[in-house]
Amino acid sequence: MVPEQLKYTPEHEWVVLVGESVVRIGITDYAQNQLGDVVFVQLPEVGERVTAGQTLGEVESTKSVSDIFAPLAGEVTARNDELDGSPELINTDAYGAGWMVELRLDDASALDELLDGAGYRELVDQG
Amino acid sequence: MTDTSLLLSPLHAAHTELKATFAPFGGWQMPIQYAEGGVVAEHTAVRESVGVFDVSHLGKALVAGPGAAEFVNSALTNDLGRIAPGKAQYTLCCTDSGGVVDDLIAYLVGAEEVFLVPNAANTARVCELLAAQAPAGITVTDQHREHGVLAVQGPRSAEVLAALGLPTELEYMAFADASFAGTPVRVCRTGYTGEHGYELLPRWADTTALWHALLAAAEPLGGKPCGLGARDTLRTEMGYPLHGQDLSLEISPVQAGAGWAVGWKKPGFWGHEALRAEKENGPARRLHGLRALDRGVPRAGMAVLDTGGGRIGETTSGTFSPTLRTGIALALLDGAVPPGTELVLDVRGRSLRCEVVKPPFVESHVR
Repeated sequence: MVPEQLKYTPEHEWVVLVGESVVRIGITDYAQNQLGDVVFVQLPEVGERVTAGQTLGEVESTKSVSDIFAPLAGEVTARNDELDGSPELINTDAYGAGWMVELRLDDASALDELLDGAGYRELVDQG
Repeated sequence: MTDTSLLLSPLHAAHTELKATFAPFGGWQMPIQYAEGGVVAEHTAVRESVGVFDVSHLGKALVAGPGAAEFVNSALTNDLGRIAPGKAQYTLCCTDSGGVVDDLIAYLVGAEEVFLVPNAANTARVCELLAAQAPAGITVTDQHREHGVLAVQGPRSAEVLAALGLPTELEYMAFADASFAGTPVRVCRTGYTGEHGYELLPRWADTTALWHALLAAAEPLGGKPCGLGARDTLRTEMGYPLHGQDLSLEISPVQAGAGWAVGWKKPGFWGHEALRAEKENGPARRLHGLRALDRGVPRAGMAVLDTGGGRIGETTSGTFSPTLRTGIALALLDGAVPPGTELVLDVRGRSLRCEVVKPPFVESHVR
């Protein structure tokens, strides 16, 4: 499942513009499926600054732990507190209730450099 | 990516059909979880209803001939004299220095026949060691791909076997030779989950038919096919050691708290001198259970610190307990640390507080 209206990173994150220069970030359905049951999510605090490629948090499943990388530079403006008590939302609704953080981008035009749906689907299909 | 050097279970096609996620396990390509389940749902099915596992990667070996049981008893640690024919026993194959080559189940068929179920990765080595020491007239045969192994585990496991006309009224660790659809199957009251359960040994070629029949009987009861991911969380909740992590050539049974599986009164077994000395002097390190007090998941190989920051050991297994909904671990710690002691795990640079607990982490229902 790769919704067309979202942007993607090769690290299996999705990104969508939700306000002026503000993006919402989560991990893709493919990523949650690879991880298995998510049991613990570590997220940054609101106000933290991140640079592109920096570790934004961790998603831990029964099997393994994966780092989540900031797809773009900016400041954390929101974190999904629901994931503290219900980390399984990442499995059940990866593109909706399982969102992770919102970032105010330093440079909104950088969003254009991310993969579109077709580009991400191609990457996943190549395995 | 398909690694063609990996061995395949007789049920590989059935697992693919169920959209299993596969991983290499002891040289075998085995299902970790199924698309319809997932580790937590499969784990819960076993605790609350019933789960059916393919564990055909487990080894099978036959030691046969005059004095076979006596020979096995002189080699492996546990005392076969404690059980009668028709019963099985958890035992260990050790080196002279007391390291563990493998932990295995020995089925005492009779004085002239012992059937062994070692771990997949160690079967060849166990067979080689036994064959090298076997007196004339006793044969050791590696039967790795002559039988499949299916585990049916959970409070409703007996109902599943009964639906197939298989015997269910067996004492814990007893086994019986039965038949299903005209084919032979050995039914054992054994398992690795802490629940009431059975392990079935059909012939390799008959494994698929048995698997489908078991699943058909289990599903109306809320049962599920279960992968090795759930098997690992289930066994960790029971504090059962996994060879290669909690028991190994470097971790002796005395250290791992598996001294109960050693026949100390026997005149001898492989490694007896080293193990007796270690038991006498007290092991330098011992396996302990740890339960996380904060959110976070322990994994194998993490440093264990005392509250002053001093390193006192390392985790050998760690996972998220689906039953307790918290992190749990087994850890080798210097000396004996009493239950209730608070310790700290180094989780990739972050501190995770935990307390020492005596396993099992979850109550056992094997009997």
